Amino acid sequence: MAEDAQLHPSGDPLLAAKFAVPAVPPAFVARQRLLDRLTEGAQGPLTVITGPAGAGKTSLAASWREADLAPGPVVWLTVESDDNAPGVFWAYVLGAFRYHRVPLPDGVGSPSSADNVDHSLIVRLASALAQLPEPVVLVLDGLEHAGVHGIAAELDFVLAHAGPSLRLVLIGRVDPALPLHRYRAEARVCEIRRSELAFTPQEAAQLLRCHGLTPSQESVGALTDRTQGWAAGLRLCALAMQRTDDAEHFAQSFAASQNAVADYLTAEVLAAQPAATQDLLIRTSILSHVHPGLADALTGRDDGERILGRLVRDNAFVEPIGDTSWYRCHPLFSEVLRAHLRSRSPALGAPLHREAARWLDGHDRLTDAIEHAAAADDWPYAAGLLVDRLAAGRLLTGPDSHRLERVFRSMPDGLPGAAPALAAAACAMARGDATAGRKHLAGARPNGDATAECLLTRAVLRLLTDADTGPGPGTTAPTAPASASGGDRGGDDCGPATEAPVPSRGTPDPDREVRALMERVDRERLDRHPEIEALRLYGRGRALLAAGHRPEAREAFAAALAAATDEQTWTVRYHSLGALALAEAVDGLLREAEAHALDGIKAAEEHGIPVDRRTPRCHLALASVSADRGDLTSAARHLATARSHPPARDVPAAAEAAVLRSRLELAHGHAAAALSALDDVPVAADGPAGAEVAGRIAVARCSVHLGRGDPAAALAALGEAPPGGPALAVASAAAHLAAGDGARARRLLAGLTGGEPVAPAVRVRAELLDARLTAFEGDTGKAASLVAGAVRTARPHGLRAPFTEAGPWLRHLLARVPGLADAGAWLTGRSAGAGKRPVRGSGSGDTATGSPLFVEQLSPRERDVLRCAAQMMSTDEIAAELFLSVNTVKTHLKSVYRKLSVSRRSEAVRRARDAGML
Amino acid sequence: MRYEFRISGHLSSAVAGAFPELDEVTVPEETVLYGPVTDEAHLYGLLVRFQDLGLHVVELRRLPD
Repeated sequence: MAEDAQLHPSGDPLLAAKFAVPAVPPAFVARQRLLDRLTEGAQGPLTVITGPAGAGKTSLAASWREADLAPGPVVWLTVESDDNAPGVFWAYVLGAFRYHRVPLPDGVGSPSSADNVDHSLIVRLASALAQLPEPVVLVLDGLEHAGVHGIAAELDFVLAHAGPSLRLVLIGRVDPALPLHRYRAEARVCEIRRSELAFTPQEAAQLLRCHGLTPSQESVGALTDRTQGWAAGLRLCALAMQRTDDAEHFAQSFAASQNAVADYLTAEVLAAQPAATQDLLIRTSILSHVHPGLADALTGRDDGERILGRLVRDNAFVEPIGDTSWYRCHPLFSEVLRAHLRSRSPALGAPLHREAARWLDGHDRLTDAIEHAAAADDWPYAAGLLVDRLAAGRLLTGPDSHRLERVFRSMPDGLPGAAPALAAAACAMARGDATAGRKHLAGARPNGDATAECLLTRAVLRLLTDADTGPGPGTTAPTAPASASGGDRGGDDCGPATEAPVPSRGTPDPDREVRALMERVDRERLDRHPEIEALRLYGRGRALLAAGHRPEAREAFAAALAAATDEQTWTVRYHSLGALALAEAVDGLLREAEAHALDGIKAAEEHGIPVDRRTPRCHLALASVSADRGDLTSAARHLATARSHPPARDVPAAAEAAVLRSRLELAHGHAAAALSALDDVPVAADGPAGAEVAGRIAVARCSVHLGRGDPAAALAALGEAPPGGPALAVASAAAHLAAGDGARARRLLAGLTGGEPVAPAVRVRAELLDARLTAFEGDTGKAASLVAGAVRTARPHGLRAPFTEAGPWLRHLLARVPGLADAGAWLTGRSAGAGKRPVRGSGSGDTATGSPLFVEQLSPRERDVLRCAAQMMSTDEIAAELFLSVNTVKTHLKSVYRKLSVSRRSEAVRRARDAGML
Repeated sequence: MRYEFRISGHLSSAVAGAFPELDEVTVPEETVLYGPVTDEAHLYGLLVRFQDLGLHVVELRRLPD
């Protein structure tokens, strides 16, 4: 038994009950034949011990462990009925390894509570087990509680891939759902079943002697026969016989009785206990773990410690849990006790649950308290606990979220009061159903004497639903950042063409409301709930994003990360990383975006964020980073991964996905597909983030039209968008320039220069447009210095896409001006120092040093020619294949070489492949 | 669906009370519990309940409706 202060700081019965090897009962009879069987079984990969409750399965394994017969360290996990969600189950398996101090290699991760588990975690666990230097016995006791079929399939996978060091011992009342026939056929399983576990008459006599009884041989035979060697039955017999004057008589009357064995014996043993003990046992039967103080609260007396201690000493089916002050009852016994509670005092159940909830709440075991309040069917109390203890955020993030969600999922609808409505709203949002959450929130109307906690819970939930569904009536988009976050930064609405829609003021700003209410809540309580501040900042960031204030949104997400420090905030930290990375990617801060996206992906795996609660944002950010760096192959790969995630529920992320698809289609020369990719986004001007999303889509449409050489359509696309930020102004300038209206473009660009600093993605494009205009006007020197400036802005981020998209004029300029050689080398990736960027993680999204990134789009015919060339066809063959003259093919190839900055056919093919053109 | 469960031994009223949805008839050495079973889930739930209470199911059969 390991004493790990970190794992059970206050003697947490939950952890000790799961991981501590159960104590061997005082009067236990060690049976060598079974110990030998287990030792033999543990030589192989799998041992299965099955039998009914009380057959002695757990005791056998525990005594085997105590006798030190195992081939290596024993890692023990007692599976309980709460643990059947796969993510939870595997979290506890990993926890058991930590508890028993069997180190696994780093990077296996630790899933938080989860409704399902990422398969990669199972793969990592299996490979970690395969690296174990010596045998490790993993005992999973009570596997019938892990009833989900998925766990058995995952166990099978782990067994198949963990190598020879893992020795799995499965203990349960029913056969595990593994393909046991296969293991039998391969002689890879040792099965210890009921018939083997049964006591022989000799063993039964020994057991009775351990209890100080010396019955006659006939009595032993009769008892063994009647109980069919059932261990718990024999122990119950011993307990009953200890308390009778005439043990022989008991044996005879039991053998003669027609009653069910377990029923008869438990009733006998219970009846033999003093009234106070019976009362305590029956009242505490509603608990899975009993604390003496809690027992006292349920009985209204103060003898809990004494009675429980005596029951343990008497071997009466009560055992201490690990080295905590908690106890648990043998499952068979507690089930019978519950039956007695129901039959003796059926009305007592609910008050007992309520009392237990009160005690647990007073002892800082809130989730347990809420479960008991719900078991008492006292929903106002359960919801009140959730709201008044400020725990609603724990439905959304942290390790208890699935337990709480399961409780409140069964809460009936339409209960009066604010707290049940708030609990229902939080539950709906935990499922990702923001619309239902919003509906429940609308029903949560705190009355005049509502607590600050209640008001704060409501405000936080409203802030978060607003982020998903857009502000509803009665709220507004967050007020301009200057006023909301202390004047740290101005808005991004600057310049003549960028009149941002002014949010209507005068209605409450949810974020400000949350902050005001946080002041009113007890400081100490707030400190114990860091998830509130993290959720607030995350919600604020999302709202700012929807309102088009991307730089301020980035600050809010970064602040949410700083606030999200403990396990209660895992989920919100992950989502903040994703949102931050995507916002940075859109703004062209590629280094930061890449680092945050990789952090987010790592966090999701390490904390085992359930697959259905993941966000595609991290992978969208990586796709955007790759596309901006000119690595279209990686971009396509990341985009595909993003699509395998559940779709982002908010419009802005969906819009970014569409914009990326469009960019990739355009890069491959599919203008029509690039346009139709953008049609998928539901742009509703009055919907959430309507203006912002419409602007992003319009800019993307404009790029497609410019790419296919249709400035008029590009201008028309921009005309459909509501007036917006600098990105729109720059796109508009590009379209006007393409349409031949250089003066208009110049005016639009001039509007930008006086304003606030704009994001690199926009700034580089503006600088390039400026350079192009200047070059047109004939001032090559100034144009060159402008290009050099753009390169300085872009280079730290590896932001090559704006240069690639700029057109042939830039390449001519680079070729003509010697001072731009360095810039040209970076863009074409020819110099050795070009690709050096600090890259974190495995370097996904990074392109190999020297890869070609500065390429001009090929015409469809050039592409056909190159495709033929890629198939090793000669010029003559290409000409025949495409019905062209040899000279025309040569012309196309020359043009391809020029566009790809290469001099040989093979090089052209390679470069086109790298750029994703083939 | 209606089912009949034959349980080894006689049951005390407390344990029989754990199956309020079933009727009970005592025969020599056995108890017959019978009654409507809603669906498969209910059926397996009952079997788990028997097991939890340490009861042995000797026979189980579906009754004609």
